[in-house]
Amino acid sequence: MTDVPLEAALAWLRKQPDVRYAEVRLVDEGSERLRLRDGRPEQVTVEASRGVGIRVLGAKTWGFASTADVHESALVAAATRALAIARASGAVTHRPVLFPERPASRGTYETALAVDPFTIPTEAKLAALDGPVRALRQGDARLKSAEAWMDWTRQKKHLLTTEGTDVAQTFTFGACGMHVFAGSSGGDSQRRSYPTWQGGDGFQAGWERVAALDLAGNVDRVKDEALALLTAPPCPGGSRTLLLESSQMALQIHESCGHPTELDRVLGSEISLAGGSFMQPAMLGRLRYGSPQVTLVADATRAGGNGTFGWDDEGVPAGKRALVERGLFVDYLSSRETAAALGRVSTGTMRADGWNRTPIIRMVNVSLEPGASGTLEDLVASTDDGLLMATDKSWSIDDLRLNFQFSCEVAWEIRHGKRTRMLRDPFYTGITPRFWGSCDAVCDERDWRLWGITSCGKGDPMQTMHVGHGSSPARFRDVAVGSAS
Amino acid sequence: MTTTATAGALLALCKDVLAVAGQAEAELTLRVAERGCARFAMGELGQHMQIAEPQAVVRVAHGTRVAETVLSRLDREALVDAVRATGRAAKLVPEVESFPGFTGHDEPAGTDPPRYVEATARATPEERVERLAPVLHAIRGAGLVSAGMLETTSVAHAMATTGGCARSHDASVASFRVWALETPGAGGAAGYGGHVHRDVRELRLAEETERSLRVCRMSRQPASLEAGTYDVVMEPEAVTELLEWLAAIAFAAPEVEQGTSPMAGRLGERITGEGIDLVEDPLCEDPALGFGVPFDREGTWRSRVPLVERGVARAVLYDRTCGARMGAASTGSAQLPAQGTAGGVGATSLMLGAGTAAGVDELLAGVERGLYVCRLHYVNGLLEPRRAVMTGLTRDGCFLVEKGKIARPVGNMRFTDSLLEGLARCDGMTRERKAVPTWWSDAGAVVSPAIRIRGWRFNGKSQEAYEG
Repeated sequence: MTDVPLEAALAWLRKQPDVRYAEVRLVDEGSERLRLRDGRPEQVTVEASRGVGIRVLGAKTWGFASTADVHESALVAAATRALAIARASGAVTHRPVLFPERPASRGTYETALAVDPFTIPTEAKLAALDGPVRALRQGDARLKSAEAWMDWTRQKKHLLTTEGTDVAQTFTFGACGMHVFAGSSGGDSQRRSYPTWQGGDGFQAGWERVAALDLAGNVDRVKDEALALLTAPPCPGGSRTLLLESSQMALQIHESCGHPTELDRVLGSEISLAGGSFMQPAMLGRLRYGSPQVTLVADATRAGGNGTFGWDDEGVPAGKRALVERGLFVDYLSSRETAAALGRVSTGTMRADGWNRTPIIRMVNVSLEPGASGTLEDLVASTDDGLLMATDKSWSIDDLRLNFQFSCEVAWEIRHGKRTRMLRDPFYTGITPRFWGSCDAVCDERDWRLWGITSCGKGDPMQTMHVGHGSSPARFRDVAVGSAS
Repeated sequence: MTTTATAGALLALCKDVLAVAGQAEAELTLRVAERGCARFAMGELGQHMQIAEPQAVVRVAHGTRVAETVLSRLDREALVDAVRATGRAAKLVPEVESFPGFTGHDEPAGTDPPRYVEATARATPEERVERLAPVLHAIRGAGLVSAGMLETTSVAHAMATTGGCARSHDASVASFRVWALETPGAGGAAGYGGHVHRDVRELRLAEETERSLRVCRMSRQPASLEAGTYDVVMEPEAVTELLEWLAAIAFAAPEVEQGTSPMAGRLGERITGEGIDLVEDPLCEDPALGFGVPFDREGTWRSRVPLVERGVARAVLYDRTCGARMGAASTGSAQLPAQGTAGGVGATSLMLGAGTAAGVDELLAGVERGLYVCRLHYVNGLLEPRRAVMTGLTRDGCFLVEKGKIARPVGNMRFTDSLLEGLARCDGMTRERKAVPTWWSDAGAVVSPAIRIRGWRFNGKSQEAYEG
């Protein structure tokens, strides 16, 4: 796959008697980031990053070093540093790392593309954004500002390990969307976005996905809703039946299921940034996480997902596993080391966000399986009194992933099975297992959609990762709601 | 760790590349961070990393058409190619009508505050382990679980333009964060300590470790407190979380122009309490508080910018392009792209003015019944940016205060309130202030005293564990 002499570093490490395991990972990444705002370019950027990360398990613990210099001597020097770090840290290690062997993996993975986005000229991409972003401002002086964006990343990753793993993967990630801000003379400002909030609109696919988005076809609805929000009443506080549309479900899954099932958090290795988790090992197979409507699956094999791959960064093949099965907590997102701590086998979720970061447990595509409650309109029709909220606006959850509060761009009141008045600045809040326990309906596969978060933050130093979440709209009972305004 | 680049060498490379590449109007920034990160958790030093972060940022203009390339290769050949490729790209992009050109040789420069300490830049893995060993030992000896990070970083930074602007700056940062925990990851009592300094030898490792132990011990067996409105005393680590969000939504010219900032249309108006001064001060020379780079990505020399004076909105931050569009001079606030996000405009050294209280105890003494908050977690300021409404939770120490004294620990609480309205109810701040590094970057810090706010709204409570 590459002319970078990765094998030289690995060969040097194999000769060191105290190296129990090592991995050498080349990441060669190119991106194009385009952003137009109010008719002018805010960003027309090409990015290129290439380097090698080397993680070494010495006699007792890990060391990691990275280099952007891919010559043989530099790679061997980085391997030397990584081992020196592992040896230095070993001096204060009380419990040597348990890291079970596994068979070598070999093969290749590549994102399926209909149209390679890197063959589309930049001018054509900018033109695809320019029309919608200008149209979003037209027709009403209260439409203060509009933005549209498009990001493409091609990441080539080659992993070699002392176990003989040799896997080469090529990913093509994209994201595209737009939003408009409407402002009133009284100083209020309201945002409306399409297809969802910026950062939740990622995918692994080609240019064909942008064409299918139809930004231009959604301009009128987006700006009409932004303007309507200026005069909409605030969302009344209280305990209500809550319907969440699909993209807000994606965020809900991300924060309250994806993160707390990361086994590194659970065991305590992410305290210095993210925190721990309430989903402790003693609860495995016992915790009633949600209602029987709730089956949550970690699937790194689903085509087009932001969290889809062939192998993780420890050489573990991608797989599909339930995390929550009909409401019961049954598995974790794990790594070889963390799984071994529980006597289990890795679920293959170790990934680093680039060549100069060490792998950590990351979500794959963590999704809610479709239910049997028809479409969103069916769900509205079967709801006597409630709220429908859409499109994330703010997000916050505690360090054990129990108490969350999310606000949305818009809500609609539901009366007697019909969507009625619009409400602004809505938020809802709850305690994770109680909230999921109150889920009494999930729409079916017709309204199921796979979303992609482009910059999930975790690790210390911070790493940002592509992860995916699929869901249909769903309904929850007795949820505390309110308004930020 | 061996520092592989100096700012002087990077500046020479910038000039050489621009001369060879042959583009009429170009700007090149080179930045090399070498980070030694000893991250410990579950009582073990499990992630000890040497991280190389080389970054070149090229911008080339054809008239008012501007393209940008960001790359990790810093060799001469790759950089020359990148400048030329960016030049070709610039011909194809739309015009930015307000683009004023890149900074020229006549751009004034000021004093470069000393930010570099050799002992930090050259700290080895063995030295980091040696410094951490007593920390791990002390917390283990107390029957608690340690977590945290000791980081030693050097940053060499240079930029030049074809117009003759040339800047360079060397810096080092040593930071330490430590938790003492009742359980590794399942919640329970927790205490935090942290310190940042240019000089790794000046880090208060023992003192901050002791602080984490003390708070953890105090936090055991918390009571459940009902949501409601409470007077609150917040440590600097809590206040800076709020100020980071305020910086993100309030002070940058693009958000003002967009109408989403609480400063939009309000310059000259009182937006918060009379006792509140907020200043962007990248040139601060206090070694305990000043961490800013003295020039921005465009080469504009930074200056002290009073943003809020005695509660009145006074100024916002500009780069050259926003400034030209909005009729203002650049404040030296142009930022480099980072981790896939666009370069923009923003604060790097936001500082809340100090008060007169001798310490936190004096602030607590003025609370009949309220809360003492050590840290906050997962603050979000996007609920209603025009009012700076924020939500978040307490973490690592939250205590009920009665009759001026800490009465007992309470479980973590969720707040939702307007920061600007809250600061209008602030009636006490300590004389001493503390710098807290921004968590997303090694390039900035927020400075704050401990403060007391009357009537802060807590709308929920969390749990120490979930038991069904």
